[in-house]
Amino acid sequence: MISIKNVHKKFGKIHVLKGIDAHIKEKEVVVIIGPSGSGKSTLLRCVNYLEEPTEGEIVVDGISLTSESNINKVREEVGMVFQRFNLFPHMTVVENITLAPMQVRKMSKSEAGVIALSLLEKVGLADKADAYPEQLSGGQQQRVAIARALAMRPKIMLFDEPTSALDPEMIKEVLDVMKTLANEGMTMVVVTHEMGFAREVGDRVIFMDEGRIVEENLPDELFTNAQEERTKLFLSKIL
Amino acid sequence: MNFDFDLVVKSFPLLLLGAGVTIQITALSVSFGLLIGMFVGIARLSKVKLVKFLATVYVDFIRGTPLLVQIFLIYFALPMIIGQRIDPFIAAITACSVNSGAYVAEIFRAGIQSIDKGQMEAGRSLGMTWSQTMRFIILPQAFKRIIPPLGNEFIAMLKDSSLVSVIGFEELTRRGQLIIARTYGSFEIWLTVAFIYLVMTLTISRLVDYLERRYKIDDKH
Repeated sequence: MISIKNVHKKFGKIHVLKGIDAHIKEKEVVVIIGPSGSGKSTLLRCVNYLEEPTEGEIVVDGISLTSESNINKVREEVGMVFQRFNLFPHMTVVENITLAPMQVRKMSKSEAGVIALSLLEKVGLADKADAYPEQLSGGQQQRVAIARALAMRPKIMLFDEPTSALDPEMIKEVLDVMKTLANEGMTMVVVTHEMGFAREVGDRVIFMDEGRIVEENLPDELFTNAQEERTKLFLSKIL
Repeated sequence: MNFDFDLVVKSFPLLLLGAGVTIQITALSVSFGLLIGMFVGIARLSKVKLVKFLATVYVDFIRGTPLLVQIFLIYFALPMIIGQRIDPFIAAITACSVNSGAYVAEIFRAGIQSIDKGQMEAGRSLGMTWSQTMRFIILPQAFKRIIPPLGNEFIAMLKDSSLVSVIGFEELTRRGQLIIARTYGSFEIWLTVAFIYLVMTLTISRLVDYLERRYKIDDKH
């Protein structure tokens, strides 16, 4: 579904990604962990071209990210959830969700509205349709952001530290929505520090450090029986 | 010295006509300026180097030269190139619009840049194009933030429009000059002219304050 070949990314002189190779299969839930600055968010952002790789190739659902029109095509298929939600503050919840389906998929307002309401139902916020983002808690905002991404009917969902900006008591409500998605068979790539989630939901965990994939394995294997010293050190600090 | 109050009363209607023209030039120029400024402001942020360069040249030239010289360029120099006289009204509006556009462009640029980068990323990640994201997400938010500086630009233009009096265009300042030429009442007339400008600028700044307060209460909607 996603194939990443020898991807490098440099910001000026800083070499953030140093040759990443990874393949993500359909319906797979891949969790990327690693210390800050390891390049995990950058890698995720390369998948929908919010960052342009300096070198290497990324193919998503058979579409190579080369031209502008290809990039837009991929973005229609790939939903993204951000650490800081990035809801549109001047629009209501329902407008946030229906904007892209109406503009990109050319759906009618009523058609998009029906989808929006069913998605809000799914994330448990049907009663907040007409609220503005600032009237919602962080956890609620993130759930709206997930619904907004899902409204495009993506084949892949990318999560960039979706719970890092949340108060502890709100983390679970967001993780629960993500679990539901995973159980429904959504292909997901999740950058997170939530090791419980990685263990419970992930099919595979990738550990990154200093721009490289250090180790990848089944969650239980990686957490209990890491092969690399660097991985052990990282895990000993966070588990 | 004697203050000839009678002269003020007699000239007042004529001056008010001039003030009406001043408001007209200002409103037209700032409206065109808004249109120019929005596109140039966006162009200043373009990734296409040539577009960005041209926009920068325009803004730098206008902000780096006096409005008075720009008025002369359009009224006296441009006719030599196009071989045709330009109507003072057209010249005045053109000069003021082109001038205002450069300042408004900088206001727009700053307004757009003040919007969180995540907004553009969220729009693009949903498959919307750059211009769709600009139109539906970035500009509506930027617009609310730039109301105060736009108000200042309106006030500045209102005052600067007095410069078009030099090409004989009969706005408030020119009317004053003409009345003085006839009556020699410099003191009374200039004082009255200043008073009328003051009333206009104070009214606008109150209006802007009101708009700003209104949008602050429901900041994000």
